[in-house]
Order: sequence, then C-alpha cells, then structure tokens
Amino acid sequence: MAIDESLIRIITLSPLILLIIIGCYGLLTAKNIFNSLFSLDVIDTATISTFVLIASFPGTQTPIVGYERYSEYADPYPQAIILTAIVIGFATQALLSGIALRLSRKYPLLRFKDLENDK
Amino acid sequence: MISNPVILTSLIFLPVILGFMGCLYPKLLYKISFGTIFLYALTSLYGYIGNFEYSFKLINSEGIPLSFDSYSLPLIFGTAVVLLTTFLIKKTLFSHYFYQICLVLFSALSISFLSKDLISLYIALELTGFCAFLLIADRNDSKSLFNAFQYLIGGGLAMLIYLFGVIQAFTYTGTFLLDELVNAPPTALCLISAGLLTKAGIFLCGVWVPNVYSYSNSQSASILSGCVTCAAIAPLTRMSTVLAPISNSLIIIGILSSVFGAIFALLEEDNGRTLGWSSVSQLGIAILSPTYGCLYAMQHGICKSILFITLRKNKENTNIYKLDPDVDQDQLEINSADIEEIISIVAFIIAGLSISGFPFLSGYITKALVKSDLPKEALLIFNSSALLTSVVYMKLIINRVNNLKIKFIFNKLSKSFQEIFFEIFNAKNTTLTLASLSIFFFSFFQVKYFSIEKVQNSIITIILGLIFYISFMGFKSNNEVTTYRKTIDIIGAPFVIAALLLANLTYLKIL
Repeated sequence: MAIDESLIRIITLSPLILLIIIGCYGLLTAKNIFNSLFSLDVIDTATISTFVLIASFPGTQTPIVGYERYSEYADPYPQAIILTAIVIGFATQALLSGIALRLSRKYPLLRFKDLENDK
Repeated sequence: MISNPVILTSLIFLPVILGFMGCLYPKLLYKISFGTIFLYALTSLYGYIGNFEYSFKLINSEGIPLSFDSYSLPLIFGTAVVLLTTFLIKKTLFSHYFYQICLVLFSALSISFLSKDLISLYIALELTGFCAFLLIADRNDSKSLFNAFQYLIGGGLAMLIYLFGVIQAFTYTGTFLLDELVNAPPTALCLISAGLLTKAGIFLCGVWVPNVYSYSNSQSASILSGCVTCAAIAPLTRMSTVLAPISNSLIIIGILSSVFGAIFALLEEDNGRTLGWSSVSQLGIAILSPTYGCLYAMQHGICKSILFITLRKNKENTNIYKLDPDVDQDQLEINSADIEEIISIVAFIIAGLSISGFPFLSGYITKALVKSDLPKEALLIFNSSALLTSVVYMKLIINRVNNLKIKFIFNKLSKSFQEIFFEIFNAKNTTLTLASLSIFFFSFFQVKYFSIEKVQNSIITIILGLIFYISFMGFKSNNEVTTYRKTIDIIGAPFVIAALLLANLTYLKIL
C-alpha cells in the first residue's frame, strides 16, 4: 500500500514540477524583461501550489473545528505559511513591473541585448 | 545582559518601527537612527565579549526559535558598525529615505542572523533583498535600474528554489526548524543551500556581486558588501554545524569560490569589480569554517565597507595627484581636501592589508582562527587563496596610490599639518581614523595567535603578493574577456550549484 501512496503523490505533484520546468525554461531563454517577469510568476505560482498540495496529502477537508469533527483534514500549517510567500511574490512582481516601466522609457523593446550592452 | 524574551523581541523590531516613524519626523531621523544603531553596536559587542548566549521561542513553546549566540552577535556588531561608518562619512548626501531603508535593513538582517526557523529566514532574506534593491536603484539611471532588476529576479528565483527545498524537507520532518534538517533528504538540503549561497554571493551563484557593486553609489556598495551578503552566512554556518554532509560540500564550494573569485578579481580592469570579485572570494573563505565563519564575515564586511567608501579618487579639489606640468609645484600648498584624501588613502591601505592578512591587523587574527579550524587537505588551497588575495589587494593598493606625488606630500605635510589641524577635524576624517585604529586594536584581543613563525609567514605572503603583481603587471586584461554581465548567468547559476551539490551528496562524496 505504501508504494502506491507515494506513487500517487508523485503523480499528483508532476504537473507542478512540469510547471516549474516550464518557468525555468522561460526564464533562461527569455529575450526581454517581460518574458522573464512572467516566467518568475509561473515559478512562484507553482511553488505556492506545491505547498497547498502537500498540505492536502493527509486529507482534503477544511481544518476548522465546527459542530462536526472531520477526520481527514488538510494540514493548516503550510497553508498558513504560504500566505506570506504569496504576498512577497506580489511585492516582487510589483517592483519588477515598476522597473520595467522606468526602463521602457529609454528602451521601449526592453530587450536584454540592448540593456546589457548599455554603457 | 538582558535575558527577557519580550525585551529582546522588541529590541529586534525597534529599528523597523523607528524606520517607519521616520516618515512622520524626517528631520530627527538622522540622530535617531545613529543613536539606535550605536546602541545596538555597543550591546552586541558587550554580549560577544561576555560570551552571552540566550535562546528563546517567540510566542510559546511551538513558536519561532531565536538565538543570541556566537554566530549572530558578531554579525549584528559588524552590520551596526558598517551602517554607522557609512552614516558618518557621507552624512550630507542623504535624504531621510536612506536612513529609513537602513533601519529596516538592520532589522531584517538581525532577524536573519538570529532566526533558526526556515520560514522566518525566508521572510527576512526577502526583506533584505528588497532593501538591497532600493539601495542599488538609488542612483536612478537605466543601468543601475537594470542591475537592480537582475539582482531582484536572481534573488527571487533563489528564494523560490529555497522554498521548494523547505517544503520538501517539511514532508519528511514535519517542522520548519533548522535543527530538524538532519532527517531531510539530500535534494532538499541542496535546494536550500543553493538558495542561501546565491543570497550570500558565493562563487557561481555570486556572479551578480561584481555587477552590482561596481555601478552603485559608494555608500550603497559599502552597505551591500558590508552586511547584505552576510545575511545568508549565519544560516549556512548554523546548517553546517548541524549537518556533516553539508559542511563537507561547503568546504569544496568555499575553496572553489576563494580561488576562482581571486583569479577573476585579478583579471578585472575596473577597481569596483575587482573588489566585488574579492568579496566573492572572501565569503568563500568564511563558509569554510562553521565555528569562526561569522567572525570572519564580520571582519571582512567592516574592512570591505571602508574600502568601498574610500575607493574613488578625489581628483578635482586636491593637488596631491600629478596635474599639469605647467603649474609650478612649489606654489601649491596642501589644503584640507588633500589631508582628507591622504587620510582616506591610509584607511584604504590599512583595510586592504587587513583583508590580505597583515600581522597586527584584525584580518590576521580571523585568518588564523579559520586556519586552525580547517581539515589538513584544505590547508594548501587555503594558503594559495591567501596568496591570491594578497596579490589582488596589492593591485588595488597600487592602483589607489598611483600618480601620487609622494615627495610633494612629504615636503609639505610637516609644515602645513599644524596650521590646518583643526580644520580637518570633521566627521569623515575622525571616523576613518578611528576605524583604522580599531582594525589595529581588534587584533590585540587574542594575543595567543601571534608567534614569530606565523607573523613571518603572513609577511612573506604579502611580499610574494607584491612581487607576483609587479611581475605580472604586463598582463593588462581587456574588457571583452571577463564580462559576466548577462542575466542568464545570474539566473542559471543556482541550478548548476544545486545540481553539483546533489551530485556531491549522493554520488561523489568528496571529503
């Protein structure tokens, strides 16, 4: 039984790992600033989803004590912690977009090729 | 010392509160921030000398563990000293935003030094990254904005890799505590340490360092090199005391970083980039020894911040560099700007010699401490990296004193020193003098490391460095060869390091 469970976990996690690989590929091959910014967001989302998914391994019921006690509830600890990471991800995106806005005045195409050779 | 959890916690968060209060009272902020950080410097120094150790958990027994010990206290002291030096020397140039950023940065750094919880560490490192971003973009032109962009996107990716490692460790251990990483699988350890190494700016992950340092303002560069890169040193050393496989891998990475960083530093044309690569090399040495790594990082940070502040030559107002041959040399008098320049040159030389390990300076002591902690196999490479470091600093010092009219200075200095002695008694000169003196006095705390053999050794290393530099001066590097300016290098490096670490932990098992 144990092997089956771990196999199921790997299968459930595989789309997220694929998402991370897509994001990393995008980040490494990006030709301009916007592509890399979006790729970072994709990786961010994948990380957050991994936290949520791993928290749901014990069960998928809501971890709230009501009139009815659930037996298989999701682990609330990673879910609570990932909120901070979501906010930090937003902040990073906001700052990066701000820079992209400033840079676009001088280099409207925002290509790395132009920006890296800027003396 | 204080051992009350409530007081200590509020001490950690006081700078952030003051920093945000600074929006309301901008005029008072300089005095407030200076006083606060001075207080922290004194307290942490007192705590370190008295071997103060106290750890507690925030909120309750399941909360976030914070620990004041020999890892965190020297780094807090170093950060405070770096900030104070920068404040004093460049006092007139700042708006109140700078002090606000510095106060928030101070708090974020202290949390990352103190915390033994992976998630708090993540938050503190991200906050540090944002503050560093603001410091880099301080110059506000397109190139510095692009550098800031590179730093932020690289740092953000590194922290995401780190988070992945954290969640993988969580599935095995069930907590986010740093001490519980013993049960974590090697993949998780690799991802976590790759993220931390990128933040610390150690070789291959640290290719962002020279880009950022060379182009930002001198005060930003001094703060970045002095304390921001130290943020990840404390957790790395904590990790390597707990985990034997990580400490073995860190020795390899540290040695690679120290040697290659120094070689790249020699190949650079620009002095700022040279200092950046040298910073990569020095932090590589710092992670070699888990016990004394923090002390080494502190010493390196203070010296490096002095180096960055005094790096730029002040050619406009001074007469001590070679000017036009038409001007009659005897007519020129030494003025107060010249004296300032001479003092900053002396501070630069002392700080450079200290990093390269000259006896009776603080760098000698920390180098000896790290050396005593190394395995025998690594000692040879450590010595050769020390030699390379001294070559690098010889290069920097020779570049700094280049074109200096030494004869002119000696002739005029003795005459005019007494006349303008009181003129030059301003904040900048006093700070630089005090800082140089303190680098001397630090070395007398531990006299047991002075033996004739060791002193001879280090002097010979430095003389060899001078000889090597002079004999290789013909090799002028061109700008085309060593430009690690591309974004793909910055982004791709953490993956490579993670893969290397994983290979070492699972298959190769070097050391």
